[in-house]
Amino acid sequence: MAMKYLVSLGHYVPELLACLTMFGLILVEAAQEKGAKSKPLVGATAFLGLIATFVILCLNLSKPGVSIFTNSIVIDSFGTFIKIIMVLGTLGAIYIANQSNDIYQGLKSEFSIMAVGVLVGGMLLTSANNMLLLYIGLETLSILSYVMASLKKNDERSGEAGLKYSLYGGISAGIMLFGMSHIFGVLGTINFSEMAPLLAEISGDKALILIPSFLLFFVGLGYKIACVPFHMWSPDVYEGSPLPVTTFFSIVPKLAGMAVIARLTMVLFNNSGIVSVSWLGALSVIAALTMTIGNISAIGQRSVKRMLAYSSIGHAGVMLLGIVVVSEIGLRSLLFYGFTYLFMTLVAFYIVSFVNDKYGNDHFERFSGLINKHPIMAISMIIVMFSLAGIPPLSGFVAKFNIFSAVIAKKYYVLALVAGINSVISLYYYMKIVRLMVFKTSESDELIGGLTLRNQIIIGALTVPVVTLGIFWEKVIGVVTSATLMIQ
Amino acid sequence: MITLSSYLMISLALFLSGLVVMIARKNIIAILLGIELILNSAALNFAAYTRFVNQNIEGHIVSLFIIVIAAAEAAVGLGIVIRFFQMRESIHIDDAAQLQS
Repeated sequence: MAMKYLVSLGHYVPELLACLTMFGLILVEAAQEKGAKSKPLVGATAFLGLIATFVILCLNLSKPGVSIFTNSIVIDSFGTFIKIIMVLGTLGAIYIANQSNDIYQGLKSEFSIMAVGVLVGGMLLTSANNMLLLYIGLETLSILSYVMASLKKNDERSGEAGLKYSLYGGISAGIMLFGMSHIFGVLGTINFSEMAPLLAEISGDKALILIPSFLLFFVGLGYKIACVPFHMWSPDVYEGSPLPVTTFFSIVPKLAGMAVIARLTMVLFNNSGIVSVSWLGALSVIAALTMTIGNISAIGQRSVKRMLAYSSIGHAGVMLLGIVVVSEIGLRSLLFYGFTYLFMTLVAFYIVSFVNDKYGNDHFERFSGLINKHPIMAISMIIVMFSLAGIPPLSGFVAKFNIFSAVIAKKYYVLALVAGINSVISLYYYMKIVRLMVFKTSESDELIGGLTLRNQIIIGALTVPVVTLGIFWEKVIGVVTSATLMIQ
Repeated sequence: MITLSSYLMISLALFLSGLVVMIARKNIIAILLGIELILNSAALNFAAYTRFVNQNIEGHIVSLFIIVIAAAEAAVGLGIVIRFFQMRESIHIDDAAQLQS
């Protein structure tokens, strides 16, 4: 038995490394002089730990899937790929936090500690194979997120964001648990792979209990990815939180939630039982609503951050489409979508972060005439906006194209149509910011400070994948193709 | 004779009263209490199902974990509420309405 656990630990190195990084960060932070102006050691620890995690994850990518810790955790290449995206997102968010003025100087190391903590929770969630671990992962992710949202201590808006996030989060976690308890009662197990064969032949009274229970279960997960109708918290929290935190929230918790919904759907609902039909039906309605409401609400916003929040709700809807089709192709396109979404989000928020630091807010007018003042920044922003809208030949187009082809291959024409119309709607508000940057003259000629050569290079370097992934996407698709989800 | 259905009825009542508290009360502390009611109804369900139906220990473990995590969540929630109170001098949920455009 003890040997078994040691072998399990061998498969669990990335998570252990992330935990070690978190402890190391706490120790290094405690060892720093009080009131020190900058803490280079903290940044170096976070960077080294996350890079090490990233390298190990990349090495694990080609290994076959295993289930460890007496079948409570599944390590497979699908999960590993999602974890790679999450590690890169954490790394990017920590870098932005170190540059931004939106996080108080004294709280920058706390940001890194909590970001790595959320990452650990997300990794647990991505590979959870039973309901208990799913709940623990979700709460690790959530509880730290509440603190992160209210990280700007003396700012009323940030405090309010944290409050709303924690109240909504607590309610949805409770509702999810209530659903889980009935699922456990009816099926008699908390393990997903043991549930799967039982679920295929459920009917009658048991189905009557299970269908609402699974819908309640979905509330907790749907809240994490901010899909309609559980999205109300998202714009408020995104707007109120400090900008690096918003960047972080739109990448890590969202992808972790997507991964767990994908795993549930592939493992439990890959059959034609009545419960599966209702789950998939509900999921497709939710995906269509999420896209439509997210994109339509994004149109009237004044703050770019809030606009990006609504647009990320729209993107969550498109990603859900990759899950609704319940096929390998769908999962692959979901992974590719997540990978491109990572770079687009990082660049967009990084640029907004500079504008926000300069003017104290991020209203659309602040972007006018940017192309004359900071050409590199403006061109990167334009590329990213086109890519988010899905214009060829950028990576956003390829990602959307993959999802659409998976949907059409399953003959879900209505969903594909809704997604297409939504692409057009999203073009409107993405182009609004491009129009302001290019055609409108600026209010003042003042330059934005803090844009050193290094930062411009980083913005440029992060934009390169947005373009190249759109042109040379076969390579990445090759890697993604080998990433499969293990179903026992 | 106390049967499974009595436990389920009690937990359903707890769950519903938790939901009503969260919708009807405007006091943030009361809303946090409502969340606790919901979490406890789930924990009760897990324990009751283990005792009467499934006889495996998993349900008991889950209810223990629920208790622990609920405590952690309440601690963080109360911390945030205290911060909010220091800034606004109020714990009324309608005062948290700055972030709407």
